[in-house]
Amino acid sequence: MDILVKPGSHVQWDWYKSHEGREVIMSIMHRNLHQRKVFGLLERPSFPPHLAPEEYRFKIFVCGKSGVGKTSTISKLSGNEVPSIHSETPGIQTTEVYWPVKILHEDKVVMFQLQFWDAGENALKKFDHVLPACKDQADAVMFVFSFVDKSGFEDLPQQMSRVIEPQDNICRFIMGTKYDLHAHSEITQRDIRDFEQQWRTPVLRIKNITDYRQTELRGDLNEVAPILNTICEHLWHREQILQGRYSIPVEV
Amino acid sequence: MAAYLLCLSAGGGVPLFTRTKGDLKPLPFPVIGSLNGVHMFASTHDVSLLSTTTVDAKVVWKVFHDSITLILVSRDDNASDSHLQQLIEKVFLSMVLVYGLDDLTNIKNIERFKKEIKVCFKLVDSLLDQADLDTFSDLTDSVDVVLGPENSILQEYLDAFVEAAASPYGCLLVWGKVAVATRKWWSLSSVELVLLSLLVNSLPKCSARDIPIFLPHGSPKVPHRLLTFQLVQGVEVCVVCGPTPSLAELQREVDRFWRTAFEYLKSSTRIHPRNFPTSILTDQSILGFILINRESHRCLCTVEPMEEDSSRQGKTMSIYRRREILRAFYKSVVRTIFTPPQSDMDSTETADTLHTRLKHKALETYIVSETHKCFAMNTNPYELYVLYSIHIPTYALRSTTTKLLSSLIKEKTMQV
Repeated sequence: MDILVKPGSHVQWDWYKSHEGREVIMSIMHRNLHQRKVFGLLERPSFPPHLAPEEYRFKIFVCGKSGVGKTSTISKLSGNEVPSIHSETPGIQTTEVYWPVKILHEDKVVMFQLQFWDAGENALKKFDHVLPACKDQADAVMFVFSFVDKSGFEDLPQQMSRVIEPQDNICRFIMGTKYDLHAHSEITQRDIRDFEQQWRTPVLRIKNITDYRQTELRGDLNEVAPILNTICEHLWHREQILQGRYSIPVEV
Repeated sequence: MAAYLLCLSAGGGVPLFTRTKGDLKPLPFPVIGSLNGVHMFASTHDVSLLSTTTVDAKVVWKVFHDSITLILVSRDDNASDSHLQQLIEKVFLSMVLVYGLDDLTNIKNIERFKKEIKVCFKLVDSLLDQADLDTFSDLTDSVDVVLGPENSILQEYLDAFVEAAASPYGCLLVWGKVAVATRKWWSLSSVELVLLSLLVNSLPKCSARDIPIFLPHGSPKVPHRLLTFQLVQGVEVCVVCGPTPSLAELQREVDRFWRTAFEYLKSSTRIHPRNFPTSILTDQSILGFILINRESHRCLCTVEPMEEDSSRQGKTMSIYRRREILRAFYKSVVRTIFTPPQSDMDSTETADTLHTRLKHKALETYIVSETHKCFAMNTNPYELYVLYSIHIPTYALRSTTTKLLSSLIKEKTMQV
């Protein structure tokens, strides 16, 4: 499904910094406000009753070449520690990320429960059940490339057509990792812009730096908030289309 | 423990991967070549080179299935060689666990193998971690457990859940240590028990997993699936099953089967880091201990037997140092003074160790140093290794250890 919406079409971008936003954000943070909480499958963020937002669950399959940084990206987005040494992921790992957003048109707060599915590239090839399990009922696929690997970037269209069938109604995201090494990159901002327009797919950027000490709430959140906002906004837009509220994607 | 682990193809001596532990420079290629060369030279003359000791290091070699050579270089700790040989064996079995025996013994494409074998790095690294781990299972060949008061209730929940998964194999890990497991899970070999717990702990934190595994003894060639679910922070339920159910299917059942156990699960996490209930009183001078049951392949270990108030912090021995001493003490006793445990791994026992020369079986031993004292007791099937602060009078070591043992094993509802 081709969806490319302008940032801020549905989601209030800096809401998490507002007074109301902070109150809701507290529910997913540790008391010291430096780290996000990890929720077990039986645990949920708890809110003061007057704030209790609606919850929406989405499944996102994360795929990309071996060693490109799928696991690190998910660790970063979920507030877990980014692994310091690369290793191949055996089989499938899923991670739940909670992210509250303010929906502009309806003036309501929605809690997104994003379930990221991460599978090692070799496990996908070696075991037949892995790919179907990841794709089954997925709402979105995130294709990961690395800013230091141009051929990987150029291969994205083929990869997208391999994983997604046109009738799948699946949302697509592109995630560029190792953005901190952008100086060494052969991929220009222009390449990214052209890609976004041609494939009608948002391209996100992330730095998965390991020995990065989060000194305050803002540090961690300011990095991941735009990414999570973009993901949530596109998933929300898709939801609206599926419910028949929009017939054509919003033009940028 | 600083260490190098080298993996080479047995046929051509091509380096497949190296792992290092500690702040070490990577070994230069000629050194790797020589280490492998001397072993190959020996084998062409029908001599098997097992180990050697340098001024400060020890090297062990082992070839597996004529396919892979593992070389382990580690600081010499004056312990029996067999501990390193056991370690190298476990490294291989952990490669089997995540990669499968067939693909290990039949390497067709070396370049591809090098990429794919990365899948075992996390587990292999944790075997080299030693005192950085907060478990001792890699050393004791018995799996770390916690004795929680909630265990008998949680057992019922677990039994019901594995039935839903149509699998008899299930266990519940609390901060990486087994709280309860099904009868079938306990029938796994001790190495399988140890490696499965270590595998789950070594992987990055996540909500659920579906990992293909090859049980090194039960099914080294046909993969099973290890499904894990993080129920609450610190508690993971693990199930080993066949092709069904899918991860998503079983995850849908998690809430139904475990929701009512929520409070028990939450309170079970509070057993950490003591790992046994506060109702069992321990002597103040005990800084840590390892209790092993050789029959059930379980061990109960702690280095924080009591909550230290903040005023004493810094004055007592650090947690890391306690683990280090307990590990060193264990290594200095097992297979030198105490008879080796009946292990299901075939290790080549070196002939000239103390216990083989003794006409009787040693049952107790102790050491006294300037900073601490240690006492070990061997009462089949239990072995107990205790670390004491320097303040305990030496004559009291034996009686305190006996008392500790009896209070730890007398609980009928919670057993090690």
